[in-house]
Amino acid sequence: MGKCMQGYLDEQFMELEELQDDVNPNFVEEVATLYFKDSARLINSIDQALERGSFDFNRLDNYMHQFKGSSTSIGASKVKTECTMFREYCRMGNAEGCLRTFQQVKKEHATLRKKLEHYFQLARQAGPKETARRSK
Amino acid sequence: MLAGKAPGLQHPNSNSILRGLIITLAYDDVNRTVTKRLLEKIGCEVTAVSSGFECLSALSNVEMPYRVVILDLQMPEMDGFEVAMKIRKFYGYHWPLIIALTASTEDHVRERCLQMGVNGMIQKPVLLHVMDSELRRALQSASE
Repeated sequence: MGKCMQGYLDEQFMELEELQDDVNPNFVEEVATLYFKDSARLINSIDQALERGSFDFNRLDNYMHQFKGSSTSIGASKVKTECTMFREYCRMGNAEGCLRTFQQVKKEHATLRKKLEHYFQLARQAGPKETARRSK
Repeated sequence: MLAGKAPGLQHPNSNSILRGLIITLAYDDVNRTVTKRLLEKIGCEVTAVSSGFECLSALSNVEMPYRVVILDLQMPEMDGFEVAMKIRKFYGYHWPLIIALTASTEDHVRERCLQMGVNGMIQKPVLLHVMDSELRRALQSASE
């Protein structure tokens, strides 16, 4: 997986790599693309909800539940950790905690995005030989 | 109907016990895509749906003999338990098999699953070997 990814992605990401093969050579990147599309939408919804200033903790928790779910599926461990904290603050009805943690969620999400973009770029450059080596 | 090698063998595509039609229901794109691919990797033919309605519609198609429904319990805007209940209401308790995907292994979730006639439970995130063995186990039990 590479040192630069350590800590950011967990074993679940490796499970995704196991699902990639000759028939589905771009599976991981496809899932990542779906993830970033979904998560951008959710981040936007949460941003808007927070900006309105009305802290509907139930609704915020719902959004974050979804976000955490797909982050878990892709193995985004740091994002997942921040999501869990956000949900805790929702449960406690702590608006300030939510706002603060959400900044962290966005930060980790943006970092992960950059790292994955770089990762897929490298994978594409390495070519089919590298893909064949990685898949079993 | 479920002829094949003993469940102990782990070769992914060798076993006709797994070569069956499966519906997977998950709300979000990522989970649906990953679960579908995982099931295909272990030799299943998969229809991925994103609503209870689509799931029930697919099951009502007599030309597609689905055997199993992989049902994500924690979906926003949709109660997985409700979908399970509807499946059992329309199709009875013997078919299709329902395997629930859940983030929680709390007792009350487990109990509710049993009450709803769910045949198996897998904790998320789903690992390939776990899906494989749980499917085999459920299919094996059903054939006994």
